[in-house]
Amino acid sequence: MKIIDGSQGEGGGQILRSSLALSMCTQTPIRIENIRAGRKKSGLGHQHLMCVQASQMICNAKVSGAEIGSQTLTFEPGEIQAGDYSFPISTAGSSCLVFQTVLPALLLAKRESTLRLSGGTHNMMAPSFDFIERSFIPALRLMNIDISTELHAYGFFPVGGGEWSATIKPLDETTPIMLMERGEMQHSAIVTQAKVKSHVAERELAQVQKKLAISASDLHINEVIAACPGNVLSVQFKHTDGTAEVIDSTGRRGLSAERVADIAIKDARRYLDSTAVVGEYLCDQLLLPMALGSGGRFTTLKPSLHTLTNIDVIQSFLDCEITFTEIGEDCFEVRC
Amino acid sequence: MSNVVVSLLGQRLDNVGFGAKRWFRWRPTLSLLMHHDFQVDELVLLYQEEEEALLQKTIKDAESICLNIKVTTHKVTYSNPWDLEQVYGQLHNFAESYDFNPEHNDYYFHITTGTHIAQICIYLLAEANYFPGRLIQSSPSPEGPHGKYQTINLDLSRYDQIASRFHKEAQESISHLKSGIETKNERYNELIREIENVAVRSTAPILITGPTGVGKSQLAKKIYELKSHKKKLEGKLVEVNCATLRGDNAMSTLFGHVKGAYTGAVSERAGLLMEANNGLLFLDEIGELGQDEQAMLLRAVEDKVFTPFGSDKEVSSDFQLIAGTNRNLYERVEEGAFREDLLARINLWSYQLPSLRDRYEDIEPNIEFELNRYAQNTNQKVSFNSTAKSKYLSFSLSSYADWKANFRDLNSSITRMATLSNGGRINEANVDKEIERLQYDWSGGGEVQVSASDVLLEETLSAEVYESIDAFEKAQLAEVIRVCKESKSMADAGRKLFDKSRLQKAASNDSQRLKVYLKKYGLEFKYL
Repeated sequence: MKIIDGSQGEGGGQILRSSLALSMCTQTPIRIENIRAGRKKSGLGHQHLMCVQASQMICNAKVSGAEIGSQTLTFEPGEIQAGDYSFPISTAGSSCLVFQTVLPALLLAKRESTLRLSGGTHNMMAPSFDFIERSFIPALRLMNIDISTELHAYGFFPVGGGEWSATIKPLDETTPIMLMERGEMQHSAIVTQAKVKSHVAERELAQVQKKLAISASDLHINEVIAACPGNVLSVQFKHTDGTAEVIDSTGRRGLSAERVADIAIKDARRYLDSTAVVGEYLCDQLLLPMALGSGGRFTTLKPSLHTLTNIDVIQSFLDCEITFTEIGEDCFEVRC
Repeated sequence: MSNVVVSLLGQRLDNVGFGAKRWFRWRPTLSLLMHHDFQVDELVLLYQEEEEALLQKTIKDAESICLNIKVTTHKVTYSNPWDLEQVYGQLHNFAESYDFNPEHNDYYFHITTGTHIAQICIYLLAEANYFPGRLIQSSPSPEGPHGKYQTINLDLSRYDQIASRFHKEAQESISHLKSGIETKNERYNELIREIENVAVRSTAPILITGPTGVGKSQLAKKIYELKSHKKKLEGKLVEVNCATLRGDNAMSTLFGHVKGAYTGAVSERAGLLMEANNGLLFLDEIGELGQDEQAMLLRAVEDKVFTPFGSDKEVSSDFQLIAGTNRNLYERVEEGAFREDLLARINLWSYQLPSLRDRYEDIEPNIEFELNRYAQNTNQKVSFNSTAKSKYLSFSLSSYADWKANFRDLNSSITRMATLSNGGRINEANVDKEIERLQYDWSGGGEVQVSASDVLLEETLSAEVYESIDAFEKAQLAEVIRVCKESKSMADAGRKLFDKSRLQKAASNDSQRLKVYLKKYGLEFKYL
């Protein structure tokens, strides 16, 4: 059994999710110790438990230690089963993180799978559905990975109630990804909100327009229906090949619309100041599919501790070399 | 294990309107369901009848937050939520009627909603174990509607800082019970630790047994002071030795009498039990108590009532009883001299104090204590010179020291030496004389057989060597050992012992000479 130290590097939930994905893909039994030791409230949270349970479901794994607060988890995967799965997630847990965990395994299954995910679609501290749909999946498409998604309902904290489905085709022949130069970018900003006064969205967009010089015609408000109110600002830079950099900021009570916008603006400025194609979060998500597929090269921002930890986990399972070379200010070339 | 949260539906805090905005607001009860590190499997809502609409909305919202949550309800009815009696009664009813299953569920009682009176009641129910769970508290936070939560464990000893505070307090109490003497005897220390616990927590009778002079009445007094200091009792300490109570006088002394109860009872008398009301009664030599008094005492201990001599009206007095005895009360029961039921009643906390001979490690600290006590009583500081001290100590610890009356003997002995000492110094002559005196007393006034030198030698030498040496050698050897004990190093001892002969030698090796001498008797300087 392979032992993984959950406290290594940034010591968070990503170690757990990557380990589960790789355990299934390589059919390696694992024991993760010191789960989330780097966090204030260590051990498995509700959200992490959902990832464990979803993984268990798609490969019939033998699992122990799957409870809230648990610091040690053993996971012995069985054969990956393609199929139609539905993963209801309580307490507005992020459905996107569950998707991210089970996706690599289902790519290696023999048949096509469909997932029905319900819960949160736009959560803080997790990729949003917008990111999955506009940034992650288009990039995977360049590797000849075929996933289609459809959103049925939005889900915000604390109720959730969002719903979306994904169809995952098994990997055929993957191609190496090449994202070296940006080319022309289409700038836009979208506020997705439910049951929140319209001036909130307007103020967020006004702030984005003022500070990022995005033209009025590229600012959108997307009023949606959801079980509870919610507000998410998404700043997007779309490339000509269909991929995009998506930067989200979630509104909440006690935080002014301008502050919500400023959080996204700060990350957007960093991206614009660099010449890299792939942003921090997309970089994180792409490494695993690349390592399982045919690798490739891309330019990205200075890697975060989160990314470096993720690479350590990937390399402990797979015989692959992932290298970072600094080629400019806040710009690195990644080879895998 | 499943987590079950019991929460009072908060008429104000949980009620923030029914519009969409409610989701931005902190609602304490629902906020507990929003934490990723705390799963709530069942929510039990306690509500008042007029809150029906809020209840239904809260249940719906709870179910939309947690997909698989079970929500149950329990109606409480009180006209005034600030009336402790009503609120406690209702919450107590809930606790009594609810089917708790602590084997399978962890219970959390939410204390953030409801009045302060409700919080007090919840605390009382949890503290008395009617509610077999922990308390949980929630508070708002700028992070969002989920706020923060905190579980509270009422077992205060689990908190390090509080635990160390308790520990310090307990140490102070223990030290008090030991009169500040740093006793080393493990059995005695263990005993005192337990007595401290009992003294602070219990009002049940305590029985202290042990031979005469081990400090039974001293301990009773210290227990009283401790309880009084900790505000565990308000009344007086009343002490009486039962051996001094005889006949009519016994009944009357203990339980009081009415005017004319017997010849000579010219006025009313309250009696010691009445005097000890709300305080502590110490009955020493309880084995000497007469049958009638035992019967009355049993009633007074069990029911807190008794009948004064010659009266037909019961009176009541609430006191804690400490009984002392040097007799084996079980034997007294067999002999028919002591009531079995009374023994059973006072035997709940029974402690046997060890004799001084069984606490030889504690003799030295007690000598210091007695010297201090003498100083306090007479305003005269007295100390031993070092030779005298080691002589007295080695006698005290030897098998020749009977310490028949235990600490009483030690106290008298120190008092005599201190009184007879000149200039506040107890010297060897004082000690020699005192040792003779003690031995004379303990031998029942017989002949004194053992000298102080003998004591020292017996303590130092192996039995085999001791038996084999002539009386002729003993005096010299004892003196050498005494000097060695006093000296810092072998060279130092050598200089003192060979003080004349070393002057005549060009190069003297005193240490070597001493070493050879000691070796003859199987001794080494470092062990002296």
